[in-house]
Amino acid sequence: MSSVLRAVWDNTYGLLVDDGQLAIGAIVALAITWVIAHSGSDALGENAGWVLLALVLALVLANLYRAGRNARRRAG
Amino acid sequence: MDLVTLAIAATPSFLASAVEFVEATTIVLAVGITRGWRAPLVGTVLATLTLAVIVGTLGVALVTVVPERLLLGIVGTLLLLFGLRWLRKAVLRFAGIVALHDEEEIYRREVAELKAQGLRRNRWDWVGTLVAYKAVLLEGTEVAFIVIAFGAKGIGAMNAAIVGAIAAGIIVIALAAALRSPLTAVPENWMKFGVGAMLSSFGIFWFGEGVGAHWPGDAASIPLILGSLLLASLIAVRMLGGLLPQGARVEARNV
Repeated sequence: MSSVLRAVWDNTYGLLVDDGQLAIGAIVALAITWVIAHSGSDALGENAGWVLLALVLALVLANLYRAGRNARRRAG
Repeated sequence: MDLVTLAIAATPSFLASAVEFVEATTIVLAVGITRGWRAPLVGTVLATLTLAVIVGTLGVALVTVVPERLLLGIVGTLLLLFGLRWLRKAVLRFAGIVALHDEEEIYRREVAELKAQGLRRNRWDWVGTLVAYKAVLLEGTEVAFIVIAFGAKGIGAMNAAIVGAIAAGIIVIALAAALRSPLTAVPENWMKFGVGAMLSSFGIFWFGEGVGAHWPGDAASIPLILGSLLLASLIAVRMLGGLLPQGARVEARNV
């Protein structure tokens, strides 16, 4: 039973996470967006979606830059 | 439910499912051509039934039980994580850091492995059944996830997402049956790039809606979000190309 649960967990995790730092970054971006949306300010709350987009774009570029630097180091 | 909502559910479901069906079909084709068709077809049918149960229970339960705002937040989170995983890998592939997905190579490797396992003609081919079942179930889980995510807006959207996935399945299977070879002409790497950006865009859009953000023009904002993600991804491909030393593209693959 535990091996079946383990396999289900591994598959679900693999479905959503390829790079741990990217996944954690995405969750942090979502958490920041949630906090902004519930900050009490109407103007900030209404624009929370654009904040999320900006955070995700920055996250994607930063994560890929790090991956590129790692690849350069390994390529020698 | 309006046509835009139905198109939003059906189109990404069709495209993402087509990519997954191409991958599953390559394996089933390899099994069928090397070991005969009965066992892999049984494996495929069993996996399809398993997936139908997953979508039927989990999907319907989500749509009917979870409150809409919370559901948008959950689906947005999952789609963003899922989409970014695809997008990252696609960018790394186009930058030459990870090897491009090659359906022909996968097919040849699978055929060699299956031939090496041997076949007893007088017994049921469990190897063929299990390989096909596993391939269809693994690729199909992603299809089921996408169908559930895009169908989360209600029963109409769920039906549209299911129709999109089934249409993709019928087209891919018909093409593979007609050609009797892996579908290498399908621009799978480009499709994964686009679908990754598309899934991430819907993730951002729905999570925003879930937390009460206002999107100008509602769903009309999605192309803008998608365009921004595609632009950032193309910038990333160029940036990575510049980071790697000249001639290091091949050496850096599969890191």
